[in-house]
Amino acid sequence: MKRLIFVLAILLIFLSSLAAQDKVEIFGYFESQIMGVGLESQFLQLFSNKLRVDLKSTVSDNITFAANFDYITYHGKTKWDILDFLSPEVVSEVPDGMESFYVLPFSDRHFLDNAYIKIAFKHFDLTVGKQQISLGTGYVWNPMDVFNVKDYLDPTYEQPGYNAIRLDVALGSSYTATALFSPDDTWRNSAKLLQLKGRISHFDYSFIAIEKVWRFHDYTQFDYENMNFLELPERRQLLGASTAGELLGLGVWAEYAYNWMEDTKDFYELVVGTDYTFDFQTYVMLEYYRNTLGKTDYEDYNLNDWMRMLAFEQKAISRDQVYVFIQHPATDLLNIGLSSIYSISDNSLALVPTLNYSFSDNVEIFAYLNFNFGQEGKVYAKSMGNGGLIRARVYF
Amino acid sequence: MKNMLISGLIFLLLTPILYSQELTGEDIIQEVNDLMNVQSSYGKAKMTIVTTSGQKRTFIYESWSKNKGEKNLVRYLEPRRVKDQAVLMLNNADDIWMFFPRTQRVRKLATHAKKQKMQGSDFSYEDMGSGDAFITDYSPKRLKDEKMEGYDCYKVELTRKPESDMSHSGLILWVIKENFYPVVIDYYDGDDPTRHEKRLVQSDIREIDNIPTAMKMVMYNKNDNTQTEMELLEVKYNVTLEDSMFTERSLKK
Repeated sequence: MKRLIFVLAILLIFLSSLAAQDKVEIFGYFESQIMGVGLESQFLQLFSNKLRVDLKSTVSDNITFAANFDYITYHGKTKWDILDFLSPEVVSEVPDGMESFYVLPFSDRHFLDNAYIKIAFKHFDLTVGKQQISLGTGYVWNPMDVFNVKDYLDPTYEQPGYNAIRLDVALGSSYTATALFSPDDTWRNSAKLLQLKGRISHFDYSFIAIEKVWRFHDYTQFDYENMNFLELPERRQLLGASTAGELLGLGVWAEYAYNWMEDTKDFYELVVGTDYTFDFQTYVMLEYYRNTLGKTDYEDYNLNDWMRMLAFEQKAISRDQVYVFIQHPATDLLNIGLSSIYSISDNSLALVPTLNYSFSDNVEIFAYLNFNFGQEGKVYAKSMGNGGLIRARVYF
Repeated sequence: MKNMLISGLIFLLLTPILYSQELTGEDIIQEVNDLMNVQSSYGKAKMTIVTTSGQKRTFIYESWSKNKGEKNLVRYLEPRRVKDQAVLMLNNADDIWMFFPRTQRVRKLATHAKKQKMQGSDFSYEDMGSGDAFITDYSPKRLKDEKMEGYDCYKVELTRKPESDMSHSGLILWVIKENFYPVVIDYYDGDDPTRHEKRLVQSDIREIDNIPTAMKMVMYNKNDNTQTEMELLEVKYNVTLEDSMFTERSLKK
């Protein structure tokens, strides 16, 4: 710990001296968060503090370096027993003696989240290093995005960076071709992506091809050598398309991806969404999502389904879902909203009232409550508990 | 000869009066439109929102405009909370993209997004970059001339055309006779044309590159009792801007 503080101090002094020479911009935010869940007779609380330090330097007219370092600490309930949230039928699948492995730990972390160099030429940009990869037009779900799984409670939260080499080539003013390579231990295991984006009339569209190894786990078997559940790497090949534009005055978007799996069943994902802003400033959004990996009968959800969803390995376990979001600026500084997510497949519902308050120019407060209304065993079951989160963020 | 000179002098003196009397609402709005939509421009502005409780929020942004306002790019510099957020508007803001640097995500927005408040201010995106909307989306009618903010002004009423999707049902402009600069604009509610929603007052009008430019603008929101001040920190006209600057690729820079 002392060594880390020493290294950080040296780094800070070095960066400050660079910043003093106008070479590096240092900015970022500090975030303090309280999350709670009421479960049966107890209220579980997790506190976290996150410091994100961003660095950005324009090395020359066409070369930019950017990076961010995250330091996160957790307090309170830092080990969540996942089995407390699941139905007795699902818990009964846990192999004897393995109950203690089904824990979601929140351990203090510090890591280099992004660090990349971007070289901009007249007709192409080359980005090398750890970088965020954002794909698709969907708001809550992105069938084309094989790198990230969004949290439906907080879909706009930043995603982690991935090691990649990315080339964006401008083809005229309306088209862009992207090639991305995200290295792994071998060429075969590395992710490869090709995308063409364009615009016709008031519509953007894109076509994408991706090959990536999907590293999900079998949560009924434990790998004692790696002290984790057994990893089941499987090659996934994806062809997808997306569009976003306007129809009859409404914003509309759609995203589709078909996945060919090496060993397991092929599947597809589809998102269709629409939004509108009324003259009185109220914003309404609706998004439908289908994932054929998901199931149509909640009694078929098994331990692996639940664990993969809770570990953000799989986007959904129920096949068809609808997300609705309404937001209104109550004052100049306060936005109130309500999002609801309904699983059509198992008839369960979650309601999430939200609040965004601008406390000052660089301080914002975000809060939500989360109420589940489904029967036990369904994806948004009452037995999952009701909860909420308050987050204060200070930008510097 | 003497009579001819006197006649000529009278004609010259009367010409501006006759001309101003003959100007129709269409003529005045065309002049305003031509003046407001210069070929290309760069600006840096400070926007201060004053809330009902008297609190202030300040934003600084840069903007670039090309093809008489047909292409617009806005990029925030301050505060840190929104730094590098950017908005690209093409085809007179019929196509809008927003870039969020924290998630590196570009989101295409439909035209209804123009109605949204710009960072919670009393300016909407529609107010900021709608190109020649005065001409294409509204029908003008000249009203009786009035003095406003110390200037002799033409007063012109604009009524939204039935096919238009602009959020205001109508506008009233007070246009300075001397230079066709709209010194005050009143905005009326989209559903209730009698309801006065906002008033824009432009002041500190200076000639920059021979183009009259208000260095200060204040939008008063009559409904919410709030106001937003906009101060131009820097402005340049007829600058050379590449088309590649107004692309999604450039938005992310």
